Amino acid sequence: MKHSTMRLSIETMNLDFVKKVEALSGSSVRRCFQCGKCSAGCPMRSFMEHPPNRIVRFLQLGQYERVLAGRSIWYCASCETCTTRCPNKVDLAAIMDALRKCSWDAKGPSKESYVQLANRLFIDNIRTYGRQYEMRLAAVFNVKSGQFLKDLMLGPKLITKGKLKVFHQKNKNLAEIEQIFKRIEELRKKGEAP
Amino acid sequence: MTPAKKLLSYSYYPGCSLHASAKEYDESTRGLFKALGIGLQEVPDWLCCGATPAHNVDELLSLSLCAKNLSLAEGVEGDLAVACAACFSRLKVTQHHLADNETKRKQVEYAIDGTVNLAKPVKHLLEILAKDFGLDRLTEAVQKPLAGLKVACYYGCLLTRPPEVPQLDCVEAPTIMERVIGAVGAETVGWSHRMECCGANFTLSRPGVVLKLSGSILDSAKAAGADCLMVACPLCHGNLDIRQKEIEEATGQRFGMPVFYMTQLLALAVGVAPGKLGFDSMIVNPLPLLREKQLL
Repeated sequence: MKHSTMRLSIETMNLDFVKKVEALSGSSVRRCFQCGKCSAGCPMRSFMEHPPNRIVRFLQLGQYERVLAGRSIWYCASCETCTTRCPNKVDLAAIMDALRKCSWDAKGPSKESYVQLANRLFIDNIRTYGRQYEMRLAAVFNVKSGQFLKDLMLGPKLITKGKLKVFHQKNKNLAEIEQIFKRIEELRKKGEAP
Repeated sequence: MTPAKKLLSYSYYPGCSLHASAKEYDESTRGLFKALGIGLQEVPDWLCCGATPAHNVDELLSLSLCAKNLSLAEGVEGDLAVACAACFSRLKVTQHHLADNETKRKQVEYAIDGTVNLAKPVKHLLEILAKDFGLDRLTEAVQKPLAGLKVACYYGCLLTRPPEVPQLDCVEAPTIMERVIGAVGAETVGWSHRMECCGANFTLSRPGVVLKLSGSILDSAKAAGADCLMVACPLCHGNLDIRQKEIEEATGQRFGMPVFYMTQLLALAVGVAPGKLGFDSMIVNPLPLLREKQLL
């Protein structure tokens, strides 16, 4: 893999970003001493261009663009193996969540738009139906990602097995659920929540 | 009536999958609990816990959805029984975070327009069976011991991790699944991939990830001589059962490994009619194996 030169100076290091990630995740980035145990146990390591410990190193050096531009943060499965095994109690899973939130909020193009799309549809389903509507999740994902034939053979099988409901009932308390979403938006608008 | 024999009763949070793709988990849980005389009452109007997608991009939303569920659960008596490993994890994480963090708790209380009650114990079914009900009583209830059935117990990620949250069992070498299924007479195998990730929710966005990771899990279970896998998470089940044929096509290996929910096997052992356990919903047909072991 090609490595571009990294110049470190007060101008190229964004330490405010590090502080933001630390505040969002509630975990220190600077405690990491690069033992690499997180990456050694990471099941998703082979799908990432930067292993988890390198992500932390980039953060320590204030190189946030490299972190947010890559696909690594979207290929974290949230399995918590890294957090469990870190000898210095760095909560890497929480740091990954914080980084995804930063990337999500920036609304910039991401290399992993499929993962973002799946997350977006999942959350939209909660707002619309209160619970997951798996049939809709899969169908809308295929349409929006342009993979119309993805899992085509799986659908009918799951329907005959009764595993995929074609029709879905909405929750009775949808107004209360909508209110949760609205109030969170309101808190953010007022700057009272991250 | 001795205190140990007092009637157990729980409020129940099934989670979205148990009303759809994992309906056999729901059916067999209800069947098992009924057979054991444990009460189970579903929390009315519960909503999605947000699972991984919510906390991946919006922690406050994730905490608020779970806090809302916890407050709905207040209306039903008994500790909260949870079947899905992901829902269990999210509800426990919410209690854990909000207990230590005043600022987040205030934000969540504003979002759900109510107080956050953290007092109700959230318990996974495994914990209820092993600790509250007890392994001895479980053994006593057996009508059809699962003798000769070699089970690979698959924990996946969220039943035990992160260490300070679920507190279900040892975080790197848990044995609770083996103990529970061992109590009804099954044999368990020692194998390497008990706690490796199955590929989780990449099943929708990046199925290739699932084929690789779940393929290794099936491979490891097969190499250890298991007849079947036992899981406690609908997502793991989907990846290992629904995608098993694809995994076989991709890797050129033949597994033919039925993937049971833990409650299906336990309910079978305590005498619930096999017709009520949703075996026909499974993609990898478990009936030949169960017939071979004379369990049907």
